[in-house]
Amino acid sequence: MDSFFSMFLNDYYIQVLTMLGIYLIGALGLNLITGVTGQLSFGHAAFLSIGAYTSAILSIKLQMPFALAILAGGLMAGLWGVLLGYPTLRLTGDYLGIATLGFGEIVRVVFLNMTITGGALGLAGIPRSATLTVVLFIVILTVWAMVRLENSRFGRSLVAIREDEIAAEAMGVNITTTKITAFAIGTFLAGISGGLYAHLIQYLNPSDFGFIKSFEFLTFIVLGGLGSIPGVILGTSVLTLAPEFLRFIADYRMMVYGLLMVFMMIVRPRGLLGGVQLSRIFSKKKAQQTGTSASGGAN
Amino acid sequence: MKKGKLWLLLSLLVITAMLLTGCGGGGGEEKKAPEGEKAAEGGDIKIGFLGAKTGGHAAYGVETLKGMQMAAKDINDAGGINGKKIVIVEEDHGSKVSEGTTVTQKLITRDKVVAIVGDPTTGITKAAAPIAQQNKVVLLSAGAVGTGVVEIGDYIFRDTLLDAVAAPAVTKYLGEKLGWKKVAVITSMNNDYSVGLTKLFKEALAANKIEIVAEQSIQDGDQNFAAQVTAIKGKNPDGIIFTGYYTEGGLFMKEARKQGMKAVMVGGDGLLSDVLMKMGAEAVEGSMVYCGFAADEAKAGEKTKKFIEAYKAGNNNVLPDMFSAQGYDAVMLIADAIKAAGSDVPEKFRAELAKTKDWNGVSGTITFQENREPIKSPVFLLEVKEGKFAVKDTVEVK
Repeated sequence: MDSFFSMFLNDYYIQVLTMLGIYLIGALGLNLITGVTGQLSFGHAAFLSIGAYTSAILSIKLQMPFALAILAGGLMAGLWGVLLGYPTLRLTGDYLGIATLGFGEIVRVVFLNMTITGGALGLAGIPRSATLTVVLFIVILTVWAMVRLENSRFGRSLVAIREDEIAAEAMGVNITTTKITAFAIGTFLAGISGGLYAHLIQYLNPSDFGFIKSFEFLTFIVLGGLGSIPGVILGTSVLTLAPEFLRFIADYRMMVYGLLMVFMMIVRPRGLLGGVQLSRIFSKKKAQQTGTSASGGAN
Repeated sequence: MKKGKLWLLLSLLVITAMLLTGCGGGGGEEKKAPEGEKAAEGGDIKIGFLGAKTGGHAAYGVETLKGMQMAAKDINDAGGINGKKIVIVEEDHGSKVSEGTTVTQKLITRDKVVAIVGDPTTGITKAAAPIAQQNKVVLLSAGAVGTGVVEIGDYIFRDTLLDAVAAPAVTKYLGEKLGWKKVAVITSMNNDYSVGLTKLFKEALAANKIEIVAEQSIQDGDQNFAAQVTAIKGKNPDGIIFTGYYTEGGLFMKEARKQGMKAVMVGGDGLLSDVLMKMGAEAVEGSMVYCGFAADEAKAGEKTKKFIEAYKAGNNNVLPDMFSAQGYDAVMLIADAIKAAGSDVPEKFRAELAKTKDWNGVSGTITFQENREPIKSPVFLLEVKEGKFAVKDTVEVK
């Protein structure tokens, strides 16, 4: 499969696409927490780093198989998600945001001071096992799982919590358990994403998981459209690929990137695909095909 | 209203799709071009710059790039190498590790560089080096001093001054030229750099028969060093070897002067910052710091003098720093290896680069050992004079 990719993609594109896939997994996780359930999290990079360091250490020190190490990284991040979620998910909005921001900084400083993580020198020599095939497979699996989840009873109770917590509780939704479960799934995906990241970059440094990375993930999903899976995919793709194919304008690259963000937020304040769901797009298209000539004329 | 929204959405999707296919199309063409070495024949010799032009490490990256461009200009003005011109392909990774690896991959795959100079930091060099090694492209870091860099593979080099080279040379100088017989050693225990440097200094002190009369440990972030100073004061050392960073170094000397100690401090480039003078003020007068390069117009050789003048002419009379000098040398080292091999294929000139011996650059003389670790001479010993770093002496290695 990898040789199939390298037939028509060069190594640079493969690297960029693999990175995109890894970010997608993490972004879908954050989307479940922030987009679907409406809980603001500024500490996503912390869970990424927990997954990354756990899987990297397992692969280096215990020579654990790649798949197992990634899974362990995800589970560890999910476990910490639950541990953090239990006390903090009682907070709402800005307060939760600040609590997660604090947690993110704590995790970074802890990794900076641990000996097993190599401290400020970083952790090198991680095997490069995350290929495009593996990442693509996990992305597809994640998207499928997220679509299924959103349309389940659990998914609908998440949306209910986002829209109105009190009303949701009145309808019999267990707010705490539901929120924590969503947090656990979201952070688990962040851990998987971090584990893959470690096995692609082959080198980890705590400074790479600062709050800027958390904000990066937040912009991915806000720009794409909170709560919309196709939106998250589009937002992450645009924002990950834009800096790469804006390289031809060299020094102005980040300026254009910023402009792009401002422009998109003005034109589409709810995100590129805010509130759009895959199933609805198809049904709309069907309606259009059979519909009147009004829209056809504009075509 | 709803219809309008849908149209906006569709048009945005179309734009994105166009961007994506445009990108993909370019890739297709790229693939058709002949592979690396064939493309290099007859064309220019491309050397990639891997470093930050934005973000936290921008100062190092920008200076390295300046040096590289000066080297490329000097080579091209002299007619190039074997009739080919040097082209520097510059790319910014914004001080991010993840983008550092992407940039490395891009330089190798799309720009087809034969060698990469960078990254100035050890961390990103460690992330980039495996990619260069797997693709058989020479990577020469003009700034990485940490451990575990050249061990990554036989295509990885660096032209920096290593503490393992500098500490023994400086210790020898302290014993022979300054006549030091007994010293106090101060280590910051929560600082990897300091712990490592203390180990190197202790070995060197033993070899040079300088006695360690007192050994004290501090922590990064400490403010009060009264206890440690009291402990070493009674032993009356000729000097203090301080292996930590500038903040603690400045404060430590302030306490030492307060308690009436006259001995001066010696340390590695962890002390090399103007913050040292801000923290220590008059207490750090006479403190000595070693580093890999310092612009000293009075004592510089002809080659270095020319470099300093050219740099000053292009940068409003500012003196070049270590990164620009090492960036210049990095490109020159690669150019000379290509010249010696008569080929710009990395597989061929890599061997010549590894053979580099007593090579004369603007930042000093460089020899690559068998394990590709550089031995650099001289070591620049700076002294704080009237609140500024001034070159005290240059210490030859071996």
